[in-house]
Amino acid sequence: MSGTKFQIIKSHLKLISWLQTQYVTLLATLMVFACTPASEEESIQLPDQISYNFDIQPILSNNCYVCHGPDSSTRQAGLRLDLREWATKKLDDGKRAINPGNWKKSELINRVSSHDPEIMMPPPEMKRNLSAREIALLKHWIEQGAQWEPYWAFIKPEMSETPEVVAKSFINNEIDRFLVNKLETKELVPAELTDRYSLARRLSFVLTGLPPDPVVLEDFVNDPDSDAYEKLVDHYLDAPRFGEHWARHWMDLVRYADTRGHEFDYKVNGAWHYRDYLIRAFNQDVPYNQMVLEQLAGDMIETPRLDRPSGANESVIGTAFYCLTEGKHSPVDLRIDQSERIDNIIDVTSKTFQALTVACAKCHDHKFDPIPTTDYYSMYGMVESTRFTLTQAGFDEKRKLILDSLKRDQSSIRNYIVENLTDEPPANLKSEVELHDISRYHIIGDFRDGSLADWTPDGISISNAMGNPVVSGNLLAGLEPAKISSRAIGKGLFGVLRSPGFIISEDSMLFRAAGKNSLIRVVINNFQLIQDPIYGQLQTRLESNELQDYTIDLSMWKGHHAYIELLVGDYRRRKDKGSHEYDLDPEAWLEAAYIIGYDSLSGDVNTETVTSSITGGSTLLNKWSSGNASPNEIAALDGWLASSNTEVPGLEEWANGQQGRGRRLYDSSFVAGVTEGDHIKSPVFIRGSLKNLSSYQVPHRYLTAVSDTTKVFQNQGSGRLEFAKKVADPDNPLTARVMVNRLWHHLFGRGIVETVDNFGVQGKIPSHPELLDYLALKFMAQDWSIKKMIKFMVMSQSFQRVTTPSKSSLVVDPENVLLQHYPVRRLNAESIRDAVLAVSGRLDTTMYGPSVPIYLTEFLSGRGRPRISGPLDGKGRRSVYQAVNRNFLSPMMLAFDMPVPFSTFGRRNVSNVPSQSLTLLNDPFIVEQSKYWAAAILNQPEDFEARVKSIYLTAFSRIPQEVEIQEARAFFKEQASLLQSVTKETYGEEELWKSYCHTIFNMKEFIFLI
Amino acid sequence: MTRREALMLTKNGFGGLALMSLMGSFGCSRFKSPAGINPSGLHLGAPHFAPKARSIIFLYMDGGVSQVDSFDYKPRLEKENGQNPYDKFEVAATQFNNIGTILKSPWGFKQYGECGMWVSDLFPHIATCVDELALIRSMVSEFPEHTNANYFLHTGHGIQGRPSMGAWVNYGLGSDNQDLPGYVVLDGGLIPPGGLDNFKSGFLPANYQASILKPGKTAIPNVEPLEPAQNIQKSKLDLIKQMDHSLVGKIGHEDEVAAAIDNYELAYRMQASVPELTALAGESEATKKLYGMDSSDPHLAGYATQCLMARRLVERGVRFIELTCPRVEADRWDQHAGLKDGHERNAHAVDQAVAGLLKDLKSRGLLETTLVVFAGEFGRTPFAQGKDGRDHNPSAFSIWLAGAGVRGGTIYGETDEYGYRVIDKPTSIHDLHATMLHLLGVDHEHLTFRFSGRDIRLTDVHGHVIRDILT
Repeated sequence: MSGTKFQIIKSHLKLISWLQTQYVTLLATLMVFACTPASEEESIQLPDQISYNFDIQPILSNNCYVCHGPDSSTRQAGLRLDLREWATKKLDDGKRAINPGNWKKSELINRVSSHDPEIMMPPPEMKRNLSAREIALLKHWIEQGAQWEPYWAFIKPEMSETPEVVAKSFINNEIDRFLVNKLETKELVPAELTDRYSLARRLSFVLTGLPPDPVVLEDFVNDPDSDAYEKLVDHYLDAPRFGEHWARHWMDLVRYADTRGHEFDYKVNGAWHYRDYLIRAFNQDVPYNQMVLEQLAGDMIETPRLDRPSGANESVIGTAFYCLTEGKHSPVDLRIDQSERIDNIIDVTSKTFQALTVACAKCHDHKFDPIPTTDYYSMYGMVESTRFTLTQAGFDEKRKLILDSLKRDQSSIRNYIVENLTDEPPANLKSEVELHDISRYHIIGDFRDGSLADWTPDGISISNAMGNPVVSGNLLAGLEPAKISSRAIGKGLFGVLRSPGFIISEDSMLFRAAGKNSLIRVVINNFQLIQDPIYGQLQTRLESNELQDYTIDLSMWKGHHAYIELLVGDYRRRKDKGSHEYDLDPEAWLEAAYIIGYDSLSGDVNTETVTSSITGGSTLLNKWSSGNASPNEIAALDGWLASSNTEVPGLEEWANGQQGRGRRLYDSSFVAGVTEGDHIKSPVFIRGSLKNLSSYQVPHRYLTAVSDTTKVFQNQGSGRLEFAKKVADPDNPLTARVMVNRLWHHLFGRGIVETVDNFGVQGKIPSHPELLDYLALKFMAQDWSIKKMIKFMVMSQSFQRVTTPSKSSLVVDPENVLLQHYPVRRLNAESIRDAVLAVSGRLDTTMYGPSVPIYLTEFLSGRGRPRISGPLDGKGRRSVYQAVNRNFLSPMMLAFDMPVPFSTFGRRNVSNVPSQSLTLLNDPFIVEQSKYWAAAILNQPEDFEARVKSIYLTAFSRIPQEVEIQEARAFFKEQASLLQSVTKETYGEEELWKSYCHTIFNMKEFIFLI
Repeated sequence: MTRREALMLTKNGFGGLALMSLMGSFGCSRFKSPAGINPSGLHLGAPHFAPKARSIIFLYMDGGVSQVDSFDYKPRLEKENGQNPYDKFEVAATQFNNIGTILKSPWGFKQYGECGMWVSDLFPHIATCVDELALIRSMVSEFPEHTNANYFLHTGHGIQGRPSMGAWVNYGLGSDNQDLPGYVVLDGGLIPPGGLDNFKSGFLPANYQASILKPGKTAIPNVEPLEPAQNIQKSKLDLIKQMDHSLVGKIGHEDEVAAAIDNYELAYRMQASVPELTALAGESEATKKLYGMDSSDPHLAGYATQCLMARRLVERGVRFIELTCPRVEADRWDQHAGLKDGHERNAHAVDQAVAGLLKDLKSRGLLETTLVVFAGEFGRTPFAQGKDGRDHNPSAFSIWLAGAGVRGGTIYGETDEYGYRVIDKPTSIHDLHATMLHLLGVDHEHLTFRFSGRDIRLTDVHGHVIRDILT
């Protein structure tokens, strides 16, 4: 970053020497022109050294890049201004757009200064004109040699010296040095520190989203210790409420919702587990780089992070991140549907973690940033190579231990049986096998050799059952033939077996399978919401005890990319669950022998019984127990056992034990997640069209603007883990900056980069670039600890200043970009609702669990409306626990600007609409809470003043002034007489307190942080 | 400052404060958005050029009216009724893919008006207004499913979360009414697939979203005070106002808080203006009858009320009004089966009311400054779904416009002999939006909002004004 020295050109401008730094706000710029005629070019104040990044590129990007930027498809006249080589080369007409060192011979200056519609740039139809200052900047920059610089956000943060400041008393830590230094260059004096009451309120709201508890507040105010404030900071950082508040911030980034929207608003399976995961992660201060890895590739991390004390896999829950897209139940074109989901994932991933708008490079190279369309399709391939799955959120340590012992016993029982068998097989055995000759068909999976073929199991229950003992009492009744099975260790255990991807090439598919409340699913183009009217046939429920043929007609889907999923459990619509909510019946299981594709079956699948002689006698048993027996040998042993009444003492006890322990594995807490699929490289969709594909298949790799373009990921799987590691790499110039900027945004109301989700050229330039880098480096040096970084920020004096601006600040920096004072902020939607509950005494601080159903008013109607309404007060739970149904979003949350969950929103709008006032004035929820609050007040001793004081402390975190108590008395009197005149009755105290409490909820002081 | 002094300052206490000029659909002049809206209020200081229309009424025909059964007469269907469509033309996949035979229209067609426009017997009342209509028979959509097609029709994008056309209009031009929202959806009973997001403001500030008005006692949520008498609420508001002003004094300066205070003034006025709007006592019996409010069909009576309400909103300067369909005893205009019964019920519920609206607007001179648009999200197939239904068809459908700046009696565009695909002047939703904005005096290419690093438009990067249908 270049230095900031300023040339004062005319003496009268010394008075306003704050003007014209490279960071001055737009508004201030406009004001300059209000007092300096634009024609007097020499009076325009420019920095000594023009910075390409901060002065020049924003001009070029805003005005020129659309036709002369990175996107080759719309480039005009072969001119490109984002690269020096292009911008300075001789053009066809012999001129140069930019002639370093000589603006007079630079066609660019000629064009942007011209008023001739034939010549001027930008052309008249763009309706854009460069300002005199912008032209002056360009001229000076060219005179200084026209140096291009790498874009600031794509080079690693650099540690600069913390600046010296004159007013040392305004400094707590480095943050203050950077901020105060800049204020001093503008001759601004930082505002004084705020009082303890408002400080505690501010701290409590920004860290936990709730008002301070009056007791904590009074303790802090009266705490004589010099570290009283730090103790309060630690108190709120350690509060469980902290994670709830910061999880909600994160949920804005990842378009969190409990449902999928679209026509029927189906549920996202167990989305709330992901919400709880976030709350735990923020509360436990999981390092941010770890959170990045988990959300992008938590299923692939070598050593997953375990929840304590339960021991459940936490990392994998993070991958629900991918599953929060919308979902359509019957898209006519599956590939278009898939491309829309993937587009959303690319959009949200790149904005959330890198503050880049990669989705803008879908149809053409990015118009402003160096993001070629191949970067988009590289990510596209990665997501296409990723499959959706269910993950068991509650599979804890206890269950893992049981599972391990069950598996051990499953193999050790064979030795036990061999040692304790009451009988021995004869030397010559006969095997009778029912042969299904499927060799003429397209074999998609054949498990009759004892393997899982090349299919991939997920969950805990799938294995090949070949040779497993069939037990009846102490009787060893036989051995299982080769087939995959989910019930070797018990029923109702989660398991899924997926085939490799293939192109559907036959009309039909036949499954030799059996099972109960379990499914065969043909997943086409990763499409999950399988159901009628179009897709119902892609799924078949297994309902048979014995292996039998199930067929699926796929004639409509020939040529599509698909894989098969054998899933224990089902998506049947139930009373207590919606469609597409996965349900695992404790009795569910499945088995399968083979799967084939065919156009027509010649008769049936050819079956005949083949008999062969097997020799070996008792050595066969040893072969079996060591797992080396062939399917034929097992059939032979099975035939012998079936006819020989062979007993094994203790076998019944063992089997019962297995079954009992197997039942203890049951766990029905599922969350949507992802797993690895086939390695698919995507072609580029030329101009975004699925019908116009490039022959080039883009390899998987990280964004080329930020990393070595030659380094592609390995040729297998999705490459998500490699991508995640690139994001979490300390060498990544964006990740730490983006996150500290988000934290700053939430603590100070505005990011150092105001466009928190866009660090690209079209985003805002940082107001304090050196500070941003300092914080990013410190963040990484502190092991990416979010809590430590937040503490560092709130310990600064800058966080603790009053909200009253100085007079000169209002003139010099009306937007308060330089943070002369702390900004006044309206509370977000969740905090307003939570604060209402907190002060009324009705806040239920129960953590975690399924979302509280939304309260349905008559205004919430349409398809997919939940069958049951939640309670008016959301059970008193915090807003983060209220259901986010995409098609039925809470009116109160929306009125106060909760974003609609479709993309990344790191920064919410702060709007001002009558529905906000109407909600607080007339909504039954607010009125009801006023009543509860009044009742609580009446439980306090009968002392009007003390009661008013308690109300002020609870709601506004301060002591009322004498005059305010007077006003309250007057109000009570007025209300009493009005009520009496209306109803001709004398009104009880409760009614009056209710009126007063209701009024308090409507005060601006209640919903603003002052 | 004491309570008395504060009240003196504001003359009559709460409600006495002169309203600041309001911006947008619904908000205050001192509104402050982090999204960088220009501080003067509306995005465009004034329209780009002289507008023809001051308001738009959008009659949304939920589910997809069948073009070949309404405004796009195709005699060939009658001749080839029952034949295999695969022998006739290339059949594309449909939502249900249960493709039956060519299906003739169950209704007769007649020519009407001076222009001689063909209209089916489904719409006998609208048929009497054809000389006011510009009929576009060559509409195409990009989406064959309701939800995406609805988002596309309403927001110019097939996905959730984009600002709807009414939000764009108010973002660009603001509202002429200071006591009512500038974008109103009159809920006739059916919220379209895709839900309320069809009417939201997306990434535009929340004040541009639609206010949904429901028929019945409370038209807008929370607009009815719960206090037993108005002066009890007013006494609360007086205290609130006084406290708030002293808060502003304490901070020294804060636009946002002041704007939130002004907001209460508007909310307070809405408590009166909304009931005034919905009270139809002042309307003559003849007017009510014209719309069909006296009908024994409760759906027509209900929709008639909504249409009359639309006129009242236009009179009050509301910029954008959309009507959703009534919930008849069949599905919305989405007859996958039982075409005859379903379409007849839907048509009966809207036909007279829509015609009444056009006539009433005209007689009051309001049609000159009001654009009326009648459109669904897509059309239907000329072949049957199953036996007697029609599936979705985004490749061709008919819509019409009437009123401000529209050349009545125009027929624009053409479909093939089956009404299946457009063969002349294909017209996109973007073109429709561009034309609507044009009539409001807005150049659709220059109404933009910076989101996600791009200057985004209602018409994306598409759209051409359909000049042939304009005066």
